[in-house]
Amino acid sequence: MNKLYFSVVLCFIFMNVGAQNRYFTKDAKINFNSSTPFEDIVAESNQATTFIDIEKNELAFSVLTTSFKFRRALMEEHFNENYMESAKNKDFSKAKFSGKIISAIDWKSEKPVVVDVKGDLTMHGVTKTITLKANITPGKTKIVASAEFKVTPEDFNILIPSAVRDKIAKEVTIKVDANYTPYQQ
Amino acid sequence: MKNRLLTSVIICGMFVISSIPVKSQDLDALLEKEAKPETTLATATFKSTRIINGHSVERMKKHQLEFRVSHRFGEFNTGGYNFYGLDQGTIHLALEYGLTDWLEIGVGRSTFEKTFDGFAKASILRQSSGARNMPIHLSYLASTEAISSNVDPLLKTISSRLTFVQQILIARKFNESLSLQLTPTFIHRNQVPTELDANDLFAMGVGGRYKLTKRMALNVEYYYVYRSNGNSLPVTYYNPLSIGIDIETGGHVFQIMVTNAQAMREGGFIGKTTGSWTNAGIHLGFNISRVFSFNKN
Repeated sequence: MNKLYFSVVLCFIFMNVGAQNRYFTKDAKINFNSSTPFEDIVAESNQATTFIDIEKNELAFSVLTTSFKFRRALMEEHFNENYMESAKNKDFSKAKFSGKIISAIDWKSEKPVVVDVKGDLTMHGVTKTITLKANITPGKTKIVASAEFKVTPEDFNILIPSAVRDKIAKEVTIKVDANYTPYQQ
Repeated sequence: MKNRLLTSVIICGMFVISSIPVKSQDLDALLEKEAKPETTLATATFKSTRIINGHSVERMKKHQLEFRVSHRFGEFNTGGYNFYGLDQGTIHLALEYGLTDWLEIGVGRSTFEKTFDGFAKASILRQSSGARNMPIHLSYLASTEAISSNVDPLLKTISSRLTFVQQILIARKFNESLSLQLTPTFIHRNQVPTELDANDLFAMGVGGRYKLTKRMALNVEYYYVYRSNGNSLPVTYYNPLSIGIDIETGGHVFQIMVTNAQAMREGGFIGKTTGSWTNAGIHLGFNISRVFSFNKN
């Protein structure tokens, strides 16, 4: 009988060891700003799902474009209807990032570090390789990460009509904040 | 004892096997797995809260205020002396506000019979796909109109000036371009012009929009009004048919249309349309709306 318990417990320990290298959260914040003196265009989603693999130094993000909240409902509708075309197909409904930390990071240090991340950003059905700097504070039970970078809508085939071109910033600033916890399957 | 050991080994083996696919999954696959089952609401079924004259299932979202100016020129067949109707105009002004994401209220004033009106529109079902599948939008509209014009001597008391409108709005966004709406309507007039006119009117509205470009759409709207004694009335009423174009520019929606109805409220355009397409009794018109947000942060 004891052996049974022992082996089952052993199994669980084994499983945990196997999963310990991954951290995740379902409520990472992504905020973007494309304001100009004419118009405040700010939106935020706190429903981004993200994983970080500290063994392979990989990370991945996924967020539904319809989860971005604007102050003005009409702007939110236009964002999804005219720019992101969220309902067009499954690929358009999400923005994704899949990348690798390309600079050195010591996951045991528990001190904040700035790292270089390189990866593929996919939105509006277009994938583009970008590099950005991220702040990461490693920890055993919690990893805190944040990043800020800029993208150009035209690079992702998001067309802005000339009538409103002056009202929307040429480059959109994207801010990401994520608090990861260990991923148990 | 041996059996137990064997069982535990099997259990253990199963756990190991079940954990293997996870280990070999890449992060993208994990993202797919962890993503919540999402419900996608069909948005922008129509560009505006009106298809043309009548309401669409769209409403102002929470804390958004819409200021609407609607204008219809005179009848085209009034001739060159009246510049084919452009000399004359009927206006409707309205303020409409989203109390919540599903309830909108509004007040308005129209030149047509000097009418004041107020309405509430509630969204009961919303078309969605994904985790929760709902094929249609369903909304309910209740509206009251009060005629303040002193021309008709029959309208003595306040209650005689009132008209009540009830509508069920059933719409579906078939794809990015095409949306259709059915609008069963019941109108009760407390006072009618003659005793031949019915106090209660039933009508069925059919409306649709087809997107021509991302920011432009073609709309058509028709109301069939059930009148058993239509031919014996002293005034001939026609069913309103309207054809229009929606143009969207940032915070504005601009609707331009041709319609045989002069009034811009249900009691008027469903109940009292006297213009006819067949003899060019049609009006050029436009609706302009501007949306203001009262959301904090």
